[in-house]
Amino acid sequence: MKTFNKKRATISAPGAQGRVRYFWGLALTNIRQNFFVNLVTIGTITLALLIVSLFLLVYVNLENAAENWSEKVQVTVYFDKELAPQEQTDLKNRIQDIQGTAKVYWVSRDDALKRFKGRLKGQETLLEGVRAEVLPASFEITLKKNNRNTLAVDTYIGKLKGIPGIGEIQYGEEWVRRFNTFLSFMRIVGGLLGVFLVLAVVFIVSNTIQLTVYARRDELEIMSLVGATRLFIKMPYLLEGLIQGIAGGILAILLLLSVHFLFLHNAGNFLTFNPVTSGLAFLPPEYIAGIITSGALLGFLGSLAALRRFINEITG
Amino acid sequence: MIQFHNVFLAYQKDATALQNISFSVAKGEFVFLTGPSGAGKTTLLRLIYGALNPSKGQVLIDGQNVSRLNKSQLPYLRRTIGVVFQDFKLLQNRTVFENVAVTLEVQGGGSRADIGKRVMHILRQMGMENKIHLTPQRLSGGEQQRVSLARALVNEPKILLADEPTGNLDDANKMQILNIFKEANVKGTTVVVATHDRRLIENAHYRIIRLLNGQLADNAESRNEDFQ
Repeated sequence: MKTFNKKRATISAPGAQGRVRYFWGLALTNIRQNFFVNLVTIGTITLALLIVSLFLLVYVNLENAAENWSEKVQVTVYFDKELAPQEQTDLKNRIQDIQGTAKVYWVSRDDALKRFKGRLKGQETLLEGVRAEVLPASFEITLKKNNRNTLAVDTYIGKLKGIPGIGEIQYGEEWVRRFNTFLSFMRIVGGLLGVFLVLAVVFIVSNTIQLTVYARRDELEIMSLVGATRLFIKMPYLLEGLIQGIAGGILAILLLLSVHFLFLHNAGNFLTFNPVTSGLAFLPPEYIAGIITSGALLGFLGSLAALRRFINEITG
Repeated sequence: MIQFHNVFLAYQKDATALQNISFSVAKGEFVFLTGPSGAGKTTLLRLIYGALNPSKGQVLIDGQNVSRLNKSQLPYLRRTIGVVFQDFKLLQNRTVFENVAVTLEVQGGGSRADIGKRVMHILRQMGMENKIHLTPQRLSGGEQQRVSLARALVNEPKILLADEPTGNLDDANKMQILNIFKEANVKGTTVVVATHDRRLIENAHYRIIRLLNGQLADNAESRNEDFQ
């Protein structure tokens, strides 16, 4: 009988295994036979997921940048005079004891001059005659990760001031505040935008799939009239939705990947920073898996919603 | 086999499609359902295979109340009923073979070889064995009707319903279709043919149920001897 079954799947074996194979075969044949409609659905899912994943990519990179920038939240204590070694060790220990201190680094006057020279490389002549005594010695203090927000920094500074013999304290007070406000704002806007995007995507996809189901309502009706159970009628279409969703997810990721690479290799021409060296990241694997899974879910649920309406209409 | 007890059906509140219909068809019987267009023949058939539920009254198939069947039970009733539609309802993107095989496939029974054997057997009976690869667009009206019949009969249903099966066919084709019905009936299938084609009825001596404006006509039950 093989020759008759070239185009469409038939039940090849009785029982569940034969059915599963039959459903998959039917789903694939449906896609092949209604290629254009499927292309439109896959295209819609791809575009929708591409928008979501572009947004995620920007979000992930901003979070990364935020992480990097927050490492620069640093407190510096300046001293007019060079401290005696004993004094230096005492102070360092007391600072280290304050809760929230990550690292304390002593910068002597000589170190400060070396750094200064390093920054003026090529123009060392400017520093001729400048002696180390002109520059202040300092402690550079980095804070632990969860002590970098505005409130924690303020508390920390209060404790630091309480240490006798401490010098002039400098830290990017305003900068820290603005940066933290920006981060919270970004999370709220991002979350809201994400929710709206997902809702829009579900709506568009279920409508597109409804069109494809509508185009085949005759087939659904006939299946029902010859005694197919509801699950039997639905299954190939649900699988079709699943395949469309996964294909859409994979395509979206591939497109995003090419956009990412194009940006990496061309953005240097029109941006002031070089994205290759600034470590612009792609989505982490769990996000990629998430997008493909969302695609699969979108296709499946979109088909389910579309079918529910028609099956009820047809099966009475 | 088929029993209607005081069946009423209203599509909308004011328009009543069927009124107080009561009749029964015994197992293995052959019945013509006749009446002018719009009399309610198609509606009555739809009640039998559960595509419609009566507004009042009961439709029993083999003792089972059709409107009491839930959505998961209805398919199993439909597997015992073969239906031939006025407009054939063939899948245009599938071949003749696939159109017939669909009946067996949805029931999930049998291997590929088994399904193939049964489909070929019925198509041979219909004289369609040389056209199994064609899609319905390439068939004549009579051929399409035979494919539709093959689909309805391939799983040897207990009941065969046909809605104006000879509507667009010439006399030769009509007789061929009627003979297929007769053969199925001889094998034990209960046959109900809805038609307003006098020639068809005249050629067979079977019971006639007559509908008029959604009701059984005064001389509802007759045999074709009285019909002439």
